[in-house]
Amino acid sequence: MRRFLERHWYAYAMVLPVVVVIAVLVLYPLAQGVFFTFTNINEANIANPVLDRPATYSGVGFKNYLNVLSGDTSYGAFWGTLVRTLIWTFACVFLHYVIGLGLALLLNREVRGRTLYRVLLILPWAVPAFISAFAWKYMFNAQYGIINQLLRAVGLPDPVWLGQSDWALFAVIVVNVWLGVPFMMVALLGGLQSIPGDLYEAAEMDGATPWQRFRNVTLPGLRSVSSTVILLGIIWTFNMFPVIYLIAGPNPNTRILVTYAFERFFSGASRDYAVASTYGVLILSVLLVFATVYRRALRKQGEVW
Amino acid sequence: MAEVSYVKASRVFSGNPPVRAVDELSLEVSDGEFLVLVGPSGSGKSTALRMLAGLEDVDEGAIHIGGKDVTNVPPKGRDIAMVFQSYALYPHMTVAENMGFALKLRGVSKTEIKAKVEEAAKMLDLQKYLERKPKALSGGQRQRVAMGRAIVREPSVFLMDEPLSNLDAKLRVETRANIAALQQRLGTTTIYVTHDQVEAMTMGHRVAVLKDGLLQQCDTPRALYDRPANAFVAGFIGSPAMNLKTVPISAEGAKLDGIVVPLSRAALDAAGGLDEVTFGIRPEALGIVPSGDEGMDMTVELVEELGADALVHGAVKIGEGSQRFVVRVDGRTPPTLGQHVKVAVRDHSEIHLFHPESGERLEA
Repeated sequence: MRRFLERHWYAYAMVLPVVVVIAVLVLYPLAQGVFFTFTNINEANIANPVLDRPATYSGVGFKNYLNVLSGDTSYGAFWGTLVRTLIWTFACVFLHYVIGLGLALLLNREVRGRTLYRVLLILPWAVPAFISAFAWKYMFNAQYGIINQLLRAVGLPDPVWLGQSDWALFAVIVVNVWLGVPFMMVALLGGLQSIPGDLYEAAEMDGATPWQRFRNVTLPGLRSVSSTVILLGIIWTFNMFPVIYLIAGPNPNTRILVTYAFERFFSGASRDYAVASTYGVLILSVLLVFATVYRRALRKQGEVW
Repeated sequence: MAEVSYVKASRVFSGNPPVRAVDELSLEVSDGEFLVLVGPSGSGKSTALRMLAGLEDVDEGAIHIGGKDVTNVPPKGRDIAMVFQSYALYPHMTVAENMGFALKLRGVSKTEIKAKVEEAAKMLDLQKYLERKPKALSGGQRQRVAMGRAIVREPSVFLMDEPLSNLDAKLRVETRANIAALQQRLGTTTIYVTHDQVEAMTMGHRVAVLKDGLLQQCDTPRALYDRPANAFVAGFIGSPAMNLKTVPISAEGAKLDGIVVPLSRAALDAAGGLDEVTFGIRPEALGIVPSGDEGMDMTVELVEELGADALVHGAVKIGEGSQRFVVRVDGRTPPTLGQHVKVAVRDHSEIHLFHPESGERLEA
């Protein structure tokens, strides 16, 4: 043991600051969050140094989990919200991927002004998300928004986009797709450029049509990039709080798990920290299960990842 | 089975000035022939092959395969198979899938594909690896899979673009022989590109030498070696390269360091009016003679022992300056470094003369 420390003390000394930072910023809050899920902590019983009030919350065991998982509407209708979260996540990631791939394929050709197109298409990514969100919110405004003005101009119905209907979910999906496509496009463009050109030539010699070349060379060549960006996309979208909250606010028709956790934590009469934490832990669990299944499925296909 | 012909085919890459990568290439390849395109890098040999494959446009002239004009036919319609330098195996497919891919696209039945793939695998000794992915194969095995992919399709022409350049030296020699034997057996017209003149000489029925997009000479390996059409071919074919020196000539012959190498009447007539020629002699046509005999004085600067024989590099005075010559000598009795030796022409019929400026072969 002493020999070990003597030999490697420098490496450990260098790693220590990072370990401390991660412990303070990630592990401690995580542990605290998990702890809160087993209590009835809220604004009324948390320790409050300003009022000189000691903490009075107490342990409640698995009651929070039972309440949430019962799907009761007073606890955010967990199952309904989960289904909406999944719809939101898969719709967004599917459209991100398909549109991103389409644009990457277009940009991977020799076209005039390719650099300009690339810059323009990456722009949504470069603008701070909240600015885009507010711009879109205004565009979706039922009365003055440009979208409804256009719809009215061509004589189409002009729905109240961000009202209490599924149009709101549709609207936030549109915005998130617009925001997320650049990332997919850049990642897939990198993937496309790493496919050796002679594979396409070999496929051409083998008599493959353009579609067959896409199926048999492009898609398999993109597989490792795709599997990574799709997993990342799913995790990010599943937890995408700002777009929904900034555009639709606390609208039950766009409510997903994270936005409900936020609502429960910061608004409402009680500021129920315990239930909000329970949601946080459940989100983490869903994503962990998903990532594990996803990796296993990839490994079955022979992907080394 | 088909014959191939290039009819004044050119490929011009746009630029300023435009680059004529292949310049009015005219070549006839007969059915079942193994033709090697050889040249230094940038000579247009790969471009010429890719034009035949349909991967590169033909800007001028035409290309015929089996008597049919295929100049504007896409690769798919040319009935050709190509082996790439990088092999270009599909990384996500097994060896069997790689080999059967073209047949699958053509809609051949599964049982037939399987039979054909197995037959080719047997020929190439790949049966054990059919279920592996290319990643799990050695370089030589990958090369064989690339060959197998071409064979399975039973095309009328094989195109090979430096298929051996990624193999180590020993495997290259072995595979060289295997490819030549395979081609003999299948009798399929083959166009083979290489920069290695040894490969060209050993494999080709005929060899076409290219330089700067221009065809220099196309003939059998023997004829290229014996009667190179110009100084470039003379220097390119043969290893080590032919000694090519510009020397003064007179009515008696070529003057090299005190000795006069007599030249034939015909050669002198061809060089009529010139006072200098490019004099070429292969290292094997020179020899070291006893010090009393007539010959050039050479100071040995380097001896490369190859086993059977040795290559002696040394400087010989010609005119004002000194020129380096290479002499092939018996491997058991090479001279030592710094030694002064006498070098003489052993065989006067192996002297080649070229025009000092154009490089064209002189004499009839």
